[in-house]
Amino acid sequence: MFLNTDAEKENTYDAIVVGTGISGGWAAMELCNKGLKTLVLERGRMVKHPDYPTATKDPWDFPNADRPTQEDLKKQEKQNRTGYTVRQSSKHWFVNDLENPYTEVKRFDWMRGYHVGGRSIMWGRQSYRWSPMDFEANAKDGIGVDWPIRYNDLAPWYDKVESWIGVSGNKDGLPQLPDGNFLPPMELNCVELDLKKSVGDKFGRALTIGRTAHATAPLPHSPQRGTCQFRNLCIRGCPYGGYFSSNSSTLPAAEKTGNMTLRPNSVVYELIYDDSKGRATGVKVLDAESGEQMEFYAKVIFLCASTFGSTFIMLNSVSSRFPNGFGNDSDQLGRNIMDHHLSVGAAAEVDGYQDQYYSGRRANGFYIPRYRNIGNDKRDYIRGFGYQGGASRQGWSSLVKELSIGADLKEAVGKPGKWTVGMGGFGEILPYAENRVTLNKDLKDKDGLPTLTFDAELKENEYKMRKDMANDAAEMLSAAGFKNVVTYDNKIGVGLGIHEMGTARMGKDPKTSVLNKWNQVHACKNVFVTDGSAMTSAACQNPSLTYMALTARAVDYAVSELNKRNI
Amino acid sequence: MDRREAIRRTAWLMGGVVSAPAIMGVLNGCTAKPTLDWKPEFLSEDQAATITDIAEIIIPKTDTPGAKDAGVPGFIDIMLKDVYSKEDQDRFINGLKAFDEEADKSYGDPFNELDEDQKTAFVKKLHEEAIAIEKSENKPEKRPFILMMKELTMLGFFTSEAGATQVLQYDAVPGAYKGCIPLSEAGNGKTWAT
Repeated sequence: MFLNTDAEKENTYDAIVVGTGISGGWAAMELCNKGLKTLVLERGRMVKHPDYPTATKDPWDFPNADRPTQEDLKKQEKQNRTGYTVRQSSKHWFVNDLENPYTEVKRFDWMRGYHVGGRSIMWGRQSYRWSPMDFEANAKDGIGVDWPIRYNDLAPWYDKVESWIGVSGNKDGLPQLPDGNFLPPMELNCVELDLKKSVGDKFGRALTIGRTAHATAPLPHSPQRGTCQFRNLCIRGCPYGGYFSSNSSTLPAAEKTGNMTLRPNSVVYELIYDDSKGRATGVKVLDAESGEQMEFYAKVIFLCASTFGSTFIMLNSVSSRFPNGFGNDSDQLGRNIMDHHLSVGAAAEVDGYQDQYYSGRRANGFYIPRYRNIGNDKRDYIRGFGYQGGASRQGWSSLVKELSIGADLKEAVGKPGKWTVGMGGFGEILPYAENRVTLNKDLKDKDGLPTLTFDAELKENEYKMRKDMANDAAEMLSAAGFKNVVTYDNKIGVGLGIHEMGTARMGKDPKTSVLNKWNQVHACKNVFVTDGSAMTSAACQNPSLTYMALTARAVDYAVSELNKRNI
Repeated sequence: MDRREAIRRTAWLMGGVVSAPAIMGVLNGCTAKPTLDWKPEFLSEDQAATITDIAEIIIPKTDTPGAKDAGVPGFIDIMLKDVYSKEDQDRFINGLKAFDEEADKSYGDPFNELDEDQKTAFVKKLHEEAIAIEKSENKPEKRPFILMMKELTMLGFFTSEAGATQVLQYDAVPGAYKGCIPLSEAGNGKTWAT
């Protein structure tokens, strides 16, 4: 092919980052901070802070009480499986399933946000460190492969990331949930405080306020951010910059350096590999608006396109050196899909507390860190789960089935209702080689690119764990004196936790893993993968904080390697 | 006071004379079409008039606005049209038809032709019966028409500006979260709208 060297130069950068979500934003910021001219490619449209279209609207500004129409559901059937994503106020952040189809051999729930910022706009913001035992677990249990790092390798990066993004939380002194550098914690309400006491006294377990990426105090290093205003409309995007997102935080910082070129509507579909050099030279991009195909080049490439996004690019990058997908000497690419299984727990009614209420809307709940299979506790399954929960007073909807009607009804709804409380578990899914995603060239998406086929399910360990997740919750609520305790355990698809991970795992051995201890592709040292696909096990803690820490650490290493001319 | 006398007195107050045919028309039940001040997109005009009255009985204007003031009837019409599945639309319309037939059986006239007291009494009776069944072991899988109406009315009303800000309390930008405070210190002590 004849190469126009001017065009090539124009398209050449020091670094390329694919994706602008929670990990991509960090890669962009850190590479730019270290002086690299960085091209940041996002497949979706531009979203610039603070332009979030629905963020300041009141309930009456939305048609149909914010409910999805039948037409909405036709376009976003899979995105609707969470039960809360397809609302008039938030549906624009989630993909059109008809334009972005996938195949599920068994039910698979894949929630996507294709725009600058990705799911860092809609994420749940819960931010917990992993503990030493989480990194040791695979080796101890003889499951999957051993992590090539330990907690101590990541601790300084947890420090850096937590302080920078702003995490509100309480120091609890728990070995299974290491403390961090926290902004002031949010408050527990009256019922939650009593539950905390009961859970501690009767079970010796901890219940604490959630650790959440909200600015409960100003962050001077991010002057464009304000503090959380307790509106609890986070999924819409926050014009106050009250919580961490790429849009409110890392991308503005990257932009400020003058080193970032952000190119939205740029779908990366292949890595360009030069076998003679043993390195990737760049990426192939499809412009989503014009349909034009183009190439961009760089010395180092960071894949942060989300777990299945990055894995897709690698599966689709086939060459004589990599006939099974980029860096896939191990045959592990696409395998070991993990997530957190959820939608299981318990709820109860609470008598009393009639003269107690709250003001403001807390975008957070309580957290019960893992206590199962810790210390002397030994269950009929391995690993464990944490709970997220909350208590509140019932509103008008509880009066639909009550007798009052007319003027009486108006008076009755004005009085806050009964207190109720509930908690749902987030359980660790083990890495199973047969839980995998593969490329499907027979079904194409709106851009004409191949799609993905998912074949994954929960297995015995997960189902046994779910019994405890339901029963333990009920037990704790009963012991606190709450009434009408009911458990729930719903049928779900893997992916519903929206913590999908594992399909390009880190490991010590290139024969059984895709990435090394630095998130470098074993077989191609100038490509780094730092989103959820890198994960070797899933633990039960929400993973985004860990993705950000891995990313910051990997960029630091990549740049030092570049400076030493090792890559 | 019976209807004949009420009309006569009203005409006297208004300084006019009510013509005999007009009185006869009203008293014999060959009513003019009920007047709606909004145009339904899914329901017929008669159906829209019925649900308007039911909604206003469920949440009437008192010292605060009621369902009609808050645009709830129009909200219900669009919910049925755009949000409800075909199955639920059919269930609602069939329930509305049965509701009207029941009114006819009980009072000798379709619902739209009853007087206000009769309408209110009828709705309250059906509502009470439905609540009793809802709370019993025979609770049906799908809610009966009257409770579908109640649910829709309440949903529309309490997400409306009038409902959320006057009957409940609403704070667009709270600024802070106070977790455990006396009810008397939580705004004006009413239920939070969101």
